[in-house]
Amino acid sequence: MKHLPKHLRPRWRYLAVGIETWPDADLGRRAFQRALWYAAGNLIGDAGSADADLTLLSFMHGDGTGEAVVKVRHGHVAEARAAIACVSEVDGDPVGIHVRGISGTVRACEERYMRRAGANSTQRDVAFGDAERPAVVREDACDVWVGSGYVGAAAFDIE
Amino acid sequence: MYEAVHAHPDGDATVARHAATAARYGYDGVVVRTRDALAPAGEGGESERGGADDGPPAAAALREEYGVDVVDAVEIDVADATSASGAVGNYRSERTVVCLAGGDDGLNRFAVEDPRVDVLARPMDGPGDVNHVLAKAARDNAVHVEFDLGPLLRSSGGRRVRALADLRKLREIVTYYDAPHVVSANARSHLALRAPRELVAAAEAVGFDPEWVRDGLRAWGAIAARNRERRSEAFIEPGVRRGRYEEER
Repeated sequence: MKHLPKHLRPRWRYLAVGIETWPDADLGRRAFQRALWYAAGNLIGDAGSADADLTLLSFMHGDGTGEAVVKVRHGHVAEARAAIACVSEVDGDPVGIHVRGISGTVRACEERYMRRAGANSTQRDVAFGDAERPAVVREDACDVWVGSGYVGAAAFDIE
Repeated sequence: MYEAVHAHPDGDATVARHAATAARYGYDGVVVRTRDALAPAGEGGESERGGADDGPPAAAALREEYGVDVVDAVEIDVADATSASGAVGNYRSERTVVCLAGGDDGLNRFAVEDPRVDVLARPMDGPGDVNHVLAKAARDNAVHVEFDLGPLLRSSGGRRVRALADLRKLREIVTYYDAPHVVSANARSHLALRAPRELVAAAEAVGFDPEWVRDGLRAWGAIAARNRERRSEAFIEPGVRRGRYEEER
């Protein structure tokens, strides 16, 4: 179809979203998109979701951390931010989610807020509480396996 | 702005991890509601409880490490007002912030009528309810009523609808009588923490005034600052401080 004249094209804002999960979680792009739209549908309704759009443009996840670019219609960023805050789990895996910043172009969004190079994580035993426990260490963060699940610790706790 | 969190062993993340995440999200401080997670500030930090659980890191060291304020608090969760009274008396002298988990008419009533309590946490939980009498008492005793945004962020369906209806009712009563309030997401792990802008946006979507929510987040810091001043050596009573001219007799 012919391109719309410039003044009729929808204007977009691109939200850089940081994602954090436990290290054993495996998030897929489709699952995350579905969770995002569900959260929007439940919070701001079908009408609000249609306004906000919330399409996922890029998605990356691995080793308990990830990032995404979300397309939002200009003027509906507040609703989109609210919907993003309400994404508490994806396929049963709890997620921590945080809007790092907003840009007017995808390129600016990626250059400014995306870290691309995935953080290196290593698996080793750490002293936590009163025992040596297996843990996944990534920069300052350290997720310690305590038998029934992970406990989020930091380098500060295991020194 | 401050956020009040549940830390390990009550939650799934340690105080340090909460502090690191809160610093990244732009908070000025975290209030640690879990008694066992952090040594009380007044008692010389780690020397107080070295053995159990590898000695919870002292608040001052965390402040140094992550650049956010870490406040030692306690959330008293008891069955009835009689035991609550004893617990409040015990913890008031050693903790900077004292919260009392409500959710029961008797407990809500007790909390708002006791000026030693700083925060009445989750008053609408379970069978609990709040009315004009409690709101007036909360205002007179400067007990902050907590607005728990946890269900807004983490639950869905009927549970969330009921929680939001309760929040709205509470908001109408509390704002009418101008009782002090605090806002929190009641995070049990660093994954449940949300940045202040996200919290404000989510609350705005369900009818809260954004500036009012920000006030609620700042109130945690104000409570901590006020109580620290009261516990400092120079403080004698409200309006009276030990000055520079005090002489030894």
